[in-house]
Amino acid sequence: MEGNRLPTDRITFKRIIKLLMIAAKVDMVWLLRDTRFAIMGILGDVINNLAMVSGVFLIAVRFGGIGGMTTDEVLFMMAYSTLVTGIFMLFGSSNNIHVSRIIGRGQLEHMFIQPLPLSTQLLTNGFSPFTSSSNFIVGVILMMIAINRLEINVSAVWMLTLIAYLIATMIIIIARAYLVSSIAFYAPVAAEEITYTAIDETWLLSTFPLSGMPRFVQIPLMTILPEGLMAWFPALILLNKIQAGLLAYYPMLFALLSALTAGYFFRKGLRYYVQKGSNRYVPYGFRR
Amino acid sequence: MKKYAKTAQLSFLERINGGLIYILPSIFIKIFTLIALVYLWRVVMTSGVDVGMTLPQMLTYAYVSAILADMLVVQTAASGWLSEGVLMKLYGRPLPVFGQLAAQTVGGWVPELLMFSLPMILLAPLFSVNLIPKSSYFLLSLLLCISLGFAIELLFACLSIKLRNMNWLLGRMRMAIITVFSGTIIPIRLLPFGLSEIMRYQPFASLGGAPLTIFTGSANVPETILLQVVWNIILWPVAILVWKKSQEGMVSYGG
Repeated sequence: MEGNRLPTDRITFKRIIKLLMIAAKVDMVWLLRDTRFAIMGILGDVINNLAMVSGVFLIAVRFGGIGGMTTDEVLFMMAYSTLVTGIFMLFGSSNNIHVSRIIGRGQLEHMFIQPLPLSTQLLTNGFSPFTSSSNFIVGVILMMIAINRLEINVSAVWMLTLIAYLIATMIIIIARAYLVSSIAFYAPVAAEEITYTAIDETWLLSTFPLSGMPRFVQIPLMTILPEGLMAWFPALILLNKIQAGLLAYYPMLFALLSALTAGYFFRKGLRYYVQKGSNRYVPYGFRR
Repeated sequence: MKKYAKTAQLSFLERINGGLIYILPSIFIKIFTLIALVYLWRVVMTSGVDVGMTLPQMLTYAYVSAILADMLVVQTAASGWLSEGVLMKLYGRPLPVFGQLAAQTVGGWVPELLMFSLPMILLAPLFSVNLIPKSSYFLLSLLLCISLGFAIELLFACLSIKLRNMNWLLGRMRMAIITVFSGTIIPIRLLPFGLSEIMRYQPFASLGGAPLTIFTGSANVPETILLQVVWNIILWPVAILVWKKSQEGMVSYGG
Protein backbone atom coordinates (compact mmCIF):
# COMPACT_ATOMS: atom_id res chain seq x y z
CA MET A 1 0.00 0.00 0.00
CA GLU A 2 2.73 2.46 0.95
CA GLY A 3 4.60 1.78 -2.31
CA ASN A 4 1.56 2.85 -4.36
CA ARG A 5 1.10 6.14 -2.57
CA LEU A 6 0.78 9.25 -4.71
CA PRO A 7 3.37 12.04 -4.21
CA THR A 8 0.58 14.29 -2.86
CA ASP A 9 -0.03 11.76 -0.07
CA ARG A 10 3.40 12.21 1.49
CA ILE A 11 2.96 12.31 5.22
CA THR A 12 4.25 15.66 6.34
CA PHE A 13 3.42 17.71 9.40
CA LYS A 14 1.11 19.84 7.23
CA ARG A 15 -0.67 16.69 6.01
CA ILE A 16 -1.13 15.47 9.60
CA ILE A 17 -2.71 18.81 10.52
CA LYS A 18 -5.02 18.58 7.49
CA LEU A 19 -6.07 15.06 8.49
CA LEU A 20 -6.72 16.25 12.05
CA MET A 21 -8.90 19.01 10.58
CA ILE A 22 -10.85 16.43 8.57
CA ALA A 23 -11.45 14.41 11.77
CA ALA A 24 -12.52 17.63 13.54
CA LYS A 25 -14.93 18.42 10.71
CA VAL A 26 -16.49 14.96 10.93
CA ASP A 27 -16.83 15.46 14.68
CA MET A 28 -18.53 18.84 14.17
CA VAL A 29 -20.92 17.36 11.61
CA TRP A 30 -21.92 14.71 14.15
CA LEU A 31 -22.49 17.39 16.77
CA LEU A 32 -24.69 19.38 14.42
CA ARG A 33 -26.59 16.38 13.07
CA ASP A 34 -27.39 14.77 16.39
CA THR A 35 -26.99 17.65 18.84
CA ARG A 36 -29.12 16.13 21.61
CA PHE A 37 -27.07 12.95 21.65
CA ALA A 38 -23.79 14.82 21.37
CA ILE A 39 -24.59 17.18 24.26
CA MET A 40 -25.73 14.30 26.44
CA GLY A 41 -22.53 12.48 25.51
CA ILE A 42 -20.44 15.48 26.54
CA LEU A 43 -22.30 15.77 29.86
CA GLY A 44 -22.02 12.03 30.44
CA ASP A 45 -18.25 12.12 29.95
CA VAL A 46 -17.82 15.04 32.34
CA ILE A 47 -20.05 13.52 35.03
CA ASN A 48 -18.35 10.15 34.69
CA ASN A 49 -14.86 11.54 35.04
CA LEU A 50 -15.76 13.89 37.88
CA ALA A 51 -17.38 10.99 39.73
CA MET A 52 -14.21 8.98 39.27
CA VAL A 53 -11.84 11.64 40.62
CA SER A 54 -14.22 13.06 43.21
CA GLY A 55 -14.09 9.84 45.25
CA VAL A 56 -10.48 10.27 46.30
CA PHE A 57 -10.87 14.06 46.57
CA LEU A 58 -13.84 13.73 48.94
CA ILE A 59 -11.82 11.35 51.10
CA ALA A 60 -9.01 13.93 51.16
CA VAL A 61 -11.47 16.67 52.18
CA ARG A 62 -12.96 14.54 54.93
CA PHE A 63 -9.58 13.52 56.36
CA GLY A 64 -7.72 16.78 55.67
CA GLY A 65 -5.35 15.15 53.17
CA ILE A 66 -3.98 11.71 52.37
CA GLY A 67 -0.61 10.28 53.39
CA GLY A 68 1.23 13.58 53.68
CA MET A 69 -0.50 15.20 50.72
CA THR A 70 -2.76 18.12 51.59
CA THR A 71 -6.30 18.40 50.19
CA ASP A 72 -5.11 20.97 47.63
CA GLU A 73 -2.25 18.74 46.56
CA VAL A 74 -4.73 15.89 46.07
CA LEU A 75 -6.85 18.33 44.03
CA PHE A 76 -3.78 19.05 41.89
CA MET A 77 -3.30 15.32 41.36
CA MET A 78 -6.96 14.91 40.39
CA ALA A 79 -6.61 17.85 37.97
CA TYR A 80 -3.63 16.13 36.36
CA SER A 81 -5.63 12.90 36.11
CA THR A 82 -8.56 14.76 34.52
CA LEU A 83 -6.20 16.44 32.04
CA VAL A 84 -4.87 13.02 31.05
CA THR A 85 -8.42 11.72 30.59
CA GLY A 86 -9.20 14.86 28.58
CA ILE A 87 -6.27 14.41 26.20
CA PHE A 88 -7.10 10.72 25.89
CA MET A 89 -10.67 11.52 24.84
CA LEU A 90 -9.66 14.43 22.64
CA PHE A 91 -7.43 12.25 20.47
CA GLY A 92 -8.87 8.78 21.01
CA SER A 93 -12.55 8.87 20.23
CA SER A 94 -12.48 6.44 17.28
CA ASN A 95 -11.25 3.41 19.19
CA ASN A 96 -7.81 4.35 17.85
CA ILE A 97 -6.47 3.94 21.40
CA HIS A 98 -8.92 1.14 22.30
CA VAL A 99 -7.38 -0.48 19.23
CA SER A 100 -8.19 -4.08 20.27
CA ARG A 101 -11.79 -3.25 19.30
CA ILE A 102 -10.73 -2.34 15.76
CA ILE A 103 -8.58 -5.46 15.48
CA GLY A 104 -11.06 -7.77 17.22
CA ARG A 105 -13.99 -6.61 15.12
CA GLY A 106 -12.12 -7.14 11.87
CA GLN A 107 -12.21 -3.43 11.12
CA LEU A 108 -8.54 -3.12 10.23
CA GLU A 109 -9.62 -4.15 6.75
CA HIS A 110 -11.56 -0.89 6.52
CA MET A 111 -8.34 0.97 7.20
CA PHE A 112 -6.21 -1.04 4.77
CA ILE A 113 -8.24 0.25 1.82
CA GLN A 114 -7.58 3.90 2.71
CA PRO A 115 -4.75 5.59 0.79
CA LEU A 116 -2.92 6.40 4.01
CA PRO A 117 -0.50 4.47 6.23
CA LEU A 118 -2.20 2.71 9.13
CA SER A 119 -0.15 4.66 11.68
CA THR A 120 -1.25 8.01 10.21
CA GLN A 121 -4.89 6.98 10.30
CA LEU A 122 -4.63 5.80 13.90
CA LEU A 123 -2.87 9.01 14.86
CA THR A 124 -5.43 11.34 13.34
CA ASN A 125 -8.87 9.77 13.05
CA GLY A 126 -9.77 9.94 16.73
CA PHE A 127 -9.43 13.72 17.02
CA SER A 128 -12.76 15.14 18.18
CA PRO A 129 -12.38 18.65 19.57
CA PHE A 130 -16.08 19.50 19.49
CA THR A 131 -17.64 16.57 21.31
CA SER A 132 -14.75 15.22 23.39
CA SER A 133 -12.93 18.26 24.70
CA SER A 134 -15.08 18.69 27.80
CA ASN A 135 -12.84 16.70 30.14
CA PHE A 136 -9.79 18.51 28.85
CA ILE A 137 -11.47 21.86 29.60
CA VAL A 138 -12.57 20.66 33.06
CA GLY A 139 -9.01 19.42 33.65
CA VAL A 140 -7.55 22.82 32.71
CA ILE A 141 -10.01 24.59 35.03
CA LEU A 142 -9.25 22.21 37.93
CA MET A 143 -5.53 22.64 37.28
CA MET A 144 -5.87 26.44 37.39
CA ILE A 145 -7.82 26.25 40.66
CA ALA A 146 -5.23 23.90 42.20
CA ILE A 147 -2.31 26.07 41.00
CA ASN A 148 -4.01 29.13 42.46
CA ARG A 149 -4.75 27.49 45.82
CA LEU A 150 -1.23 26.06 46.10
CA GLU A 151 0.30 29.36 44.94
CA ILE A 152 2.56 27.57 42.47
CA ASN A 153 4.98 29.80 40.59
CA VAL A 154 4.09 28.90 36.99
CA SER A 155 7.26 29.55 35.01
CA ALA A 156 7.99 28.48 31.44
CA VAL A 157 10.14 25.64 32.77
CA TRP A 158 7.33 24.44 35.04
CA MET A 159 4.87 24.50 32.12
CA LEU A 160 7.28 22.56 29.91
CA THR A 161 7.79 20.04 32.72
CA LEU A 162 4.01 19.63 33.04
CA ILE A 163 3.70 19.11 29.26
CA ALA A 164 6.60 16.62 29.27
CA TYR A 165 4.95 14.56 32.03
CA LEU A 166 1.57 14.68 30.29
CA ILE A 167 3.18 13.41 27.08
CA ALA A 168 5.00 10.65 28.99
CA THR A 169 1.77 9.60 30.72
CA MET A 170 -0.09 9.52 27.39
CA ILE A 171 2.66 7.45 25.77
CA ILE A 172 2.51 4.94 28.64
CA ILE A 173 -1.27 4.63 28.27
CA ILE A 174 -1.15 4.26 24.49
CA ALA A 175 1.78 1.83 24.63
CA ARG A 176 -0.07 -0.31 27.16
CA ALA A 177 -3.18 -0.26 24.97
CA TYR A 178 -1.25 -1.31 21.88
CA LEU A 179 0.78 -3.92 23.75
CA VAL A 180 -2.27 -5.74 25.11
CA SER A 181 -4.14 -5.22 21.84
CA SER A 182 -1.52 -7.31 20.06
CA ILE A 183 -3.27 -10.32 21.60
CA ALA A 184 -6.40 -9.45 19.60
CA PHE A 185 -4.55 -10.32 16.37
CA TYR A 186 -4.43 -13.94 17.57
CA ALA A 187 -7.69 -14.12 19.57
CA PRO A 188 -10.06 -11.49 18.12
CA VAL A 189 -13.17 -12.55 20.03
CA ALA A 190 -11.65 -13.10 23.46
CA ALA A 191 -9.39 -10.03 23.32
CA GLU A 192 -11.72 -7.53 21.61
CA GLU A 193 -12.25 -5.64 24.88
CA ILE A 194 -8.80 -6.16 26.36
CA THR A 195 -7.89 -2.46 26.09
CA TYR A 196 -11.00 -1.66 28.13
CA THR A 197 -9.65 -3.98 30.81
CA ALA A 198 -6.13 -2.58 30.61
CA ILE A 199 -7.05 1.11 30.51
CA ASP A 200 -10.54 1.75 31.82
CA GLU A 201 -10.60 -0.83 34.61
CA THR A 202 -7.37 0.58 36.03
CA TRP A 203 -8.59 4.19 36.01
CA LEU A 204 -9.78 4.14 39.63
CA LEU A 205 -6.41 2.79 40.72
CA SER A 206 -4.67 5.63 38.89
CA THR A 207 -6.47 8.18 41.09
CA PHE A 208 -5.02 6.73 44.33
CA PRO A 209 -2.34 8.83 46.02
CA LEU A 210 0.32 6.24 46.84
CA SER A 211 1.97 8.49 49.45
CA GLY A 212 2.30 6.70 52.77
CA MET A 213 1.69 3.26 51.29
CA PRO A 214 4.29 0.51 51.86
CA ARG A 215 6.97 -0.11 49.22
CA PHE A 216 5.53 -3.49 48.23
CA VAL A 217 2.40 -1.65 47.08
CA GLN A 218 4.17 1.37 45.55
CA ILE A 219 6.81 -0.50 43.53
CA PRO A 220 4.43 -2.79 41.56
CA LEU A 221 2.26 0.26 40.88
CA MET A 222 5.28 2.02 39.37
CA THR A 223 6.47 -0.95 37.29
CA ILE A 224 4.18 -3.90 36.55
CA LEU A 225 0.97 -1.88 36.55
CA PRO A 226 2.26 1.69 36.35
CA GLU A 227 -0.79 3.45 37.79
CA GLY A 228 1.48 5.54 39.97
CA LEU A 229 2.79 7.19 36.81
CA MET A 230 -0.69 8.21 35.67
CA ALA A 231 -1.02 11.09 38.15
CA TRP A 232 0.57 10.50 41.53
CA PHE A 233 4.29 10.50 40.68
CA PRO A 234 4.12 13.39 38.15
CA ALA A 235 2.10 15.39 40.71
CA LEU A 236 4.76 14.84 43.39
CA ILE A 237 7.49 16.06 41.03
CA LEU A 238 5.50 19.06 39.80
CA LEU A 239 4.66 20.02 43.38
CA ASN A 240 8.28 19.63 44.48
CA LYS A 241 7.13 17.16 47.12
CA ILE A 242 10.14 14.93 46.51
CA GLN A 243 13.70 15.59 45.41
CA ALA A 244 13.79 12.81 42.85
CA GLY A 245 17.06 13.63 41.05
CA LEU A 246 17.43 11.35 38.04
CA LEU A 247 14.33 9.45 39.16
CA ALA A 248 12.33 12.44 37.88
CA TYR A 249 13.03 11.13 34.35
CA TYR A 250 11.70 7.68 35.19
CA PRO A 251 8.26 8.25 33.58
CA MET A 252 9.98 9.30 30.34
CA LEU A 253 12.22 6.22 30.40
CA PHE A 254 9.25 4.00 31.19
CA ALA A 255 7.32 5.60 28.31
CA LEU A 256 10.18 4.97 25.90
CA LEU A 257 10.60 1.32 26.91
CA SER A 258 6.84 0.73 26.84
CA ALA A 259 6.55 2.26 23.37
CA LEU A 260 9.42 0.13 21.99
CA THR A 261 7.97 -3.06 23.49
CA ALA A 262 4.46 -2.28 22.28
CA GLY A 263 5.75 -1.40 18.79
CA TYR A 264 7.61 -4.72 18.52
CA PHE A 265 4.66 -6.89 19.57
CA PHE A 266 2.08 -4.88 17.63
CA ARG A 267 4.06 -5.20 14.37
CA LYS A 268 4.52 -8.92 15.00
CA GLY A 269 0.78 -9.33 15.56
CA LEU A 270 -0.03 -7.25 12.49
CA ARG A 271 2.15 -9.50 10.31
CA TYR A 272 0.23 -12.51 11.64
CA TYR A 273 -3.09 -10.78 10.96
CA VAL A 274 -2.11 -9.86 7.39
CA GLN A 275 -1.35 -13.53 6.70
CA LYS A 276 -4.35 -15.05 8.47
CA GLY A 277 -7.09 -12.38 8.28
CA SER A 278 -10.09 -12.10 10.56
CA ASN A 279 -12.88 -14.62 11.11
CA ARG A 280 -15.27 -12.17 12.81
CA TYR A 281 -17.71 -11.65 9.93
CA VAL A 282 -19.97 -14.21 8.35
CA PRO A 283 -20.58 -13.75 4.59
CA TYR A 284 -23.90 -11.95 5.11
CA GLY A 285 -22.36 -9.31 7.33
CA PHE A 286 -23.07 -10.18 10.96
CA ARG A 287 -20.36 -10.29 13.54
CA ARG A 288 -19.65 -13.68 15.10
CA MET B 1 -35.95 -24.02 37.46
CA LYS B 2 -33.72 -26.30 35.41
CA LYS B 3 -34.12 -23.99 32.42
CA TYR B 4 -32.97 -21.01 34.43
CA ALA B 5 -30.02 -22.99 35.77
CA LYS B 6 -29.11 -23.86 32.19
CA THR B 7 -29.38 -20.20 31.18
CA ALA B 8 -27.09 -19.26 34.07
CA GLN B 9 -24.66 -21.98 33.02
CA LEU B 10 -24.65 -20.68 29.43
CA SER B 11 -23.91 -17.20 30.72
CA PHE B 12 -21.06 -18.55 32.83
CA LEU B 13 -19.62 -20.41 29.82
CA GLU B 14 -20.00 -17.30 27.65
CA ARG B 15 -17.72 -15.43 30.04
CA ILE B 16 -14.97 -18.03 29.90
CA ASN B 17 -15.31 -19.58 26.46
CA GLY B 18 -12.48 -17.49 25.06
CA GLY B 19 -10.22 -19.23 27.55
CA LEU B 20 -9.66 -18.47 31.22
CA ILE B 21 -6.47 -16.66 30.35
CA TYR B 22 -8.45 -13.74 28.91
CA ILE B 23 -10.23 -13.15 32.23
CA LEU B 24 -6.95 -13.07 34.13
CA PRO B 25 -5.97 -9.45 33.29
CA SER B 26 -9.26 -8.26 34.75
CA ILE B 27 -8.80 -10.42 37.87
CA PHE B 28 -5.22 -9.24 38.21
CA ILE B 29 -6.32 -5.57 38.08
CA LYS B 30 -9.09 -6.19 40.64
CA ILE B 31 -6.59 -7.79 43.02
CA PHE B 32 -4.17 -4.88 42.62
CA THR B 33 -6.97 -2.38 43.12
CA LEU B 34 -8.22 -4.13 46.25
CA ILE B 35 -4.76 -4.33 47.83
CA ALA B 36 -4.07 -0.65 47.03
CA LEU B 37 -7.52 0.28 48.39
CA VAL B 38 -6.85 -1.55 51.66
CA TYR B 39 -3.59 0.35 52.11
CA LEU B 40 -5.17 3.64 51.02
CA TRP B 41 -7.72 3.27 53.82
CA ARG B 42 -4.97 2.30 56.26
CA VAL B 43 -3.11 5.51 55.39
CA VAL B 44 -6.26 7.63 55.56
CA MET B 45 -7.65 6.18 58.78
CA THR B 46 -4.38 6.59 60.66
CA SER B 47 -4.79 10.38 60.31
CA GLY B 48 -6.84 10.22 63.51
CA VAL B 49 -9.94 11.99 62.20
CA ASP B 50 -13.06 10.58 63.86
CA VAL B 51 -15.51 9.49 61.16
CA GLY B 52 -17.60 7.12 63.23
CA MET B 53 -15.88 4.02 61.83
CA THR B 54 -12.81 2.19 63.12
CA LEU B 55 -9.93 1.06 60.92
CA PRO B 56 -10.97 -2.65 61.05
CA GLN B 57 -14.54 -1.67 60.10
CA MET B 58 -13.29 0.42 57.18
CA LEU B 59 -10.99 -2.32 55.90
CA THR B 60 -13.81 -4.86 56.09
CA TYR B 61 -16.12 -2.43 54.31
CA ALA B 62 -13.68 -1.90 51.41
CA TYR B 63 -12.80 -5.58 51.19
CA VAL B 64 -16.38 -6.92 51.18
CA SER B 65 -17.35 -4.18 48.72
CA ALA B 66 -14.73 -5.49 46.28
CA ILE B 67 -15.41 -9.21 46.66
CA LEU B 68 -19.19 -8.83 46.34
CA ALA B 69 -19.03 -5.98 43.79
CA ASP B 70 -21.27 -7.66 41.19
CA MET B 71 -24.05 -8.26 43.72
CA LEU B 72 -23.85 -4.90 45.44
CA VAL B 73 -24.42 -3.02 42.19
CA VAL B 74 -26.31 -5.29 39.81
CA GLN B 75 -25.51 -4.89 36.12
CA THR B 76 -27.41 -6.93 33.55
CA ALA B 77 -27.16 -7.26 29.80
CA ALA B 78 -30.36 -5.24 29.52
CA SER B 79 -28.64 -1.97 28.79
CA GLY B 80 -27.46 -3.53 25.53
CA TRP B 81 -31.04 -4.50 24.52
CA LEU B 82 -30.98 -2.80 21.18
CA SER B 83 -27.37 -2.60 20.11
CA GLU B 84 -25.98 -5.97 21.10
CA GLY B 85 -28.68 -8.34 19.99
CA VAL B 86 -29.76 -9.15 23.58
CA LEU B 87 -33.33 -8.38 22.59
CA MET B 88 -33.38 -11.00 19.86
CA LYS B 89 -31.80 -13.64 22.09
CA LEU B 90 -34.17 -13.18 25.02
CA TYR B 91 -37.42 -12.86 23.06
CA GLY B 92 -36.64 -15.87 20.90
CA ARG B 93 -36.63 -18.33 23.82
CA PRO B 94 -39.61 -19.98 25.57
CA LEU B 95 -38.91 -18.38 28.97
CA PRO B 96 -39.99 -15.11 30.60
CA VAL B 97 -37.63 -12.34 29.55
CA PHE B 98 -36.93 -11.05 33.04
CA GLY B 99 -36.31 -14.54 34.40
CA GLN B 100 -33.74 -15.12 31.69
CA LEU B 101 -32.12 -11.79 32.37
CA ALA B 102 -31.83 -12.61 36.08
CA ALA B 103 -30.44 -16.09 35.41
CA GLN B 104 -28.01 -14.72 32.85
CA THR B 105 -26.79 -12.07 35.28
CA VAL B 106 -26.31 -14.51 38.16
CA GLY B 107 -24.46 -16.96 35.86
CA GLY B 108 -22.16 -14.12 34.82
CA TRP B 109 -21.15 -13.55 38.45
CA VAL B 110 -19.72 -17.05 38.86
CA PRO B 111 -16.31 -16.72 37.11
CA GLU B 112 -15.28 -13.74 39.23
CA LEU B 113 -16.68 -15.25 42.40
CA LEU B 114 -14.50 -18.30 41.78
CA MET B 115 -11.40 -16.59 40.44
CA PHE B 116 -11.36 -13.36 42.46
CA SER B 117 -13.71 -13.40 45.44
CA LEU B 118 -12.93 -16.89 46.73
CA PRO B 119 -9.12 -16.51 46.68
CA MET B 120 -9.38 -13.05 48.23
CA ILE B 121 -11.62 -14.40 51.02
CA LEU B 122 -8.93 -16.96 51.77
CA LEU B 123 -6.24 -14.26 51.71
CA ALA B 124 -8.18 -11.82 53.92
CA PRO B 125 -6.30 -12.73 57.16
CA LEU B 126 -3.06 -11.66 55.44
CA PHE B 127 -4.43 -8.12 55.27
CA SER B 128 -5.85 -8.31 58.81
CA VAL B 129 -9.37 -8.08 57.44
CA ASN B 130 -12.18 -9.68 59.41
CA LEU B 131 -14.83 -11.22 57.16
CA ILE B 132 -17.33 -12.29 59.80
CA PRO B 133 -20.52 -10.23 59.55
CA LYS B 134 -21.48 -8.30 62.66
CA SER B 135 -25.15 -8.99 62.08
CA SER B 136 -27.03 -11.93 60.57
CA TYR B 137 -29.34 -9.38 58.92
CA PHE B 138 -26.55 -8.87 56.39
CA LEU B 139 -27.92 -11.68 54.21
CA LEU B 140 -31.42 -10.22 54.19
CA SER B 141 -29.98 -6.81 53.39
CA LEU B 142 -27.89 -8.29 50.57
CA LEU B 143 -30.98 -9.94 49.06
CA LEU B 144 -32.91 -6.65 49.26
CA CYS B 145 -29.92 -4.89 47.68
CA ILE B 146 -29.81 -7.38 44.78
CA SER B 147 -33.58 -7.09 44.31
CA LEU B 148 -33.40 -3.28 44.28
CA GLY B 149 -30.41 -3.48 41.93
CA PHE B 150 -32.49 -5.41 39.40
CA ALA B 151 -35.33 -2.86 39.67
CA ILE B 152 -32.96 0.07 39.09
CA GLU B 153 -31.27 -1.79 36.25
CA LEU B 154 -34.66 -2.40 34.64
CA LEU B 155 -35.47 1.31 34.86
CA PHE B 156 -32.16 2.21 33.20
CA ALA B 157 -32.85 -0.42 30.52
CA CYS B 158 -36.23 1.22 29.84
CA LEU B 159 -34.48 4.57 29.57
CA SER B 160 -32.12 3.09 26.98
CA ILE B 161 -35.15 1.87 25.01
CA LYS B 162 -36.64 5.36 25.15
CA LEU B 163 -33.41 7.05 24.07
CA ARG B 164 -32.71 4.44 21.38
CA ASN B 165 -28.98 4.59 20.63
CA MET B 166 -27.70 5.99 23.89
CA ASN B 167 -27.00 2.81 25.85
CA TRP B 168 -23.26 3.42 25.99
CA LEU B 169 -23.82 6.92 27.29
CA LEU B 170 -26.43 5.76 29.79
CA GLY B 171 -24.05 3.09 31.01
CA ARG B 172 -21.41 5.72 31.75
CA MET B 173 -23.84 8.04 33.51
CA ARG B 174 -25.30 5.18 35.50
CA MET B 175 -21.84 4.10 36.59
CA ALA B 176 -20.99 7.67 37.62
CA ILE B 177 -24.19 8.06 39.66
CA ILE B 178 -23.73 4.71 41.38
CA THR B 179 -20.03 5.34 42.09
CA VAL B 180 -20.90 8.39 44.16
CA PHE B 181 -24.39 7.63 45.51
CA SER B 182 -24.31 3.91 46.39
CA GLY B 183 -21.59 4.11 49.01
CA THR B 184 -19.72 1.12 47.59
CA ILE B 185 -16.50 3.09 47.08
CA ILE B 186 -16.81 5.67 49.86
CA PRO B 187 -19.17 4.92 52.75
CA ILE B 188 -21.94 7.50 52.69
CA ARG B 189 -21.30 8.50 56.32
CA LEU B 190 -17.79 9.59 55.30
CA LEU B 191 -18.97 12.16 52.76
CA PRO B 192 -18.00 15.73 53.66
CA PHE B 193 -19.99 19.02 53.48
CA GLY B 194 -22.96 17.44 55.33
CA LEU B 195 -23.74 15.32 52.26
CA SER B 196 -24.04 12.13 54.31
CA GLU B 197 -27.32 13.14 55.96
CA ILE B 198 -28.97 13.98 52.62
CA MET B 199 -27.57 11.01 50.74
CA ARG B 200 -28.52 8.20 53.10
CA TYR B 201 -32.22 8.37 52.17
CA GLN B 202 -31.88 8.27 48.35
CA PRO B 203 -32.50 4.88 46.64
CA PHE B 204 -28.92 4.22 45.56
CA ALA B 205 -27.84 4.23 49.21
CA SER B 206 -30.00 1.12 49.68
CA LEU B 207 -27.83 -0.70 47.16
CA GLY B 208 -24.28 -1.69 48.17
CA GLY B 209 -23.87 0.74 51.06
CA ALA B 210 -26.71 -0.79 53.08
CA PRO B 211 -25.49 -4.41 53.39
CA LEU B 212 -21.91 -3.21 53.79
CA THR B 213 -22.73 -1.02 56.78
CA ILE B 214 -24.71 -3.88 58.33
CA PHE B 215 -21.82 -6.29 57.69
CA THR B 216 -19.37 -3.99 59.45
CA GLY B 217 -21.71 -3.16 62.32
CA SER B 218 -21.79 0.54 61.51
CA ALA B 219 -25.48 0.72 60.61
CA ASN B 220 -28.74 1.20 62.41
CA VAL B 221 -30.02 -2.20 61.23
CA PRO B 222 -33.84 -1.73 61.51
CA GLU B 223 -33.70 1.67 59.80
CA THR B 224 -31.40 0.42 57.01
CA ILE B 225 -33.54 -2.66 56.29
CA LEU B 226 -36.73 -0.57 56.44
CA LEU B 227 -35.33 1.89 53.89
CA GLN B 228 -34.36 -0.98 51.60
CA VAL B 229 -37.84 -2.50 51.87
CA VAL B 230 -39.47 0.87 51.18
CA TRP B 231 -37.35 1.50 48.08
CA ASN B 232 -38.10 -2.02 46.82
CA ILE B 233 -41.83 -1.44 47.34
CA ILE B 234 -41.66 1.89 45.51
CA LEU B 235 -39.34 1.03 42.63
CA TRP B 236 -40.46 -2.47 41.65
CA PRO B 237 -44.05 -1.50 40.62
CA VAL B 238 -42.64 1.52 38.79
CA ALA B 239 -40.05 -0.65 37.01
CA ILE B 240 -42.66 -3.26 35.99
CA LEU B 241 -45.07 -0.59 34.75
CA VAL B 242 -42.44 1.30 32.78
CA TRP B 243 -41.07 -1.98 31.47
CA LYS B 244 -44.50 -3.07 30.15
CA LYS B 245 -44.88 0.24 28.35
CA SER B 246 -41.33 0.23 27.03
CA GLN B 247 -41.51 -3.20 25.41
CA GLU B 248 -43.62 -1.80 22.59
CA GLY B 249 -40.97 0.80 21.88
CA MET B 250 -38.13 -1.59 21.17
CA VAL B 251 -36.52 -1.21 17.77
CA SER B 252 -33.44 -3.15 16.81
CA TYR B 253 -31.61 -4.45 13.79
CA GLY B 254 -28.59 -6.68 13.48
CA GLY B 255 -26.76 -7.53 16.64
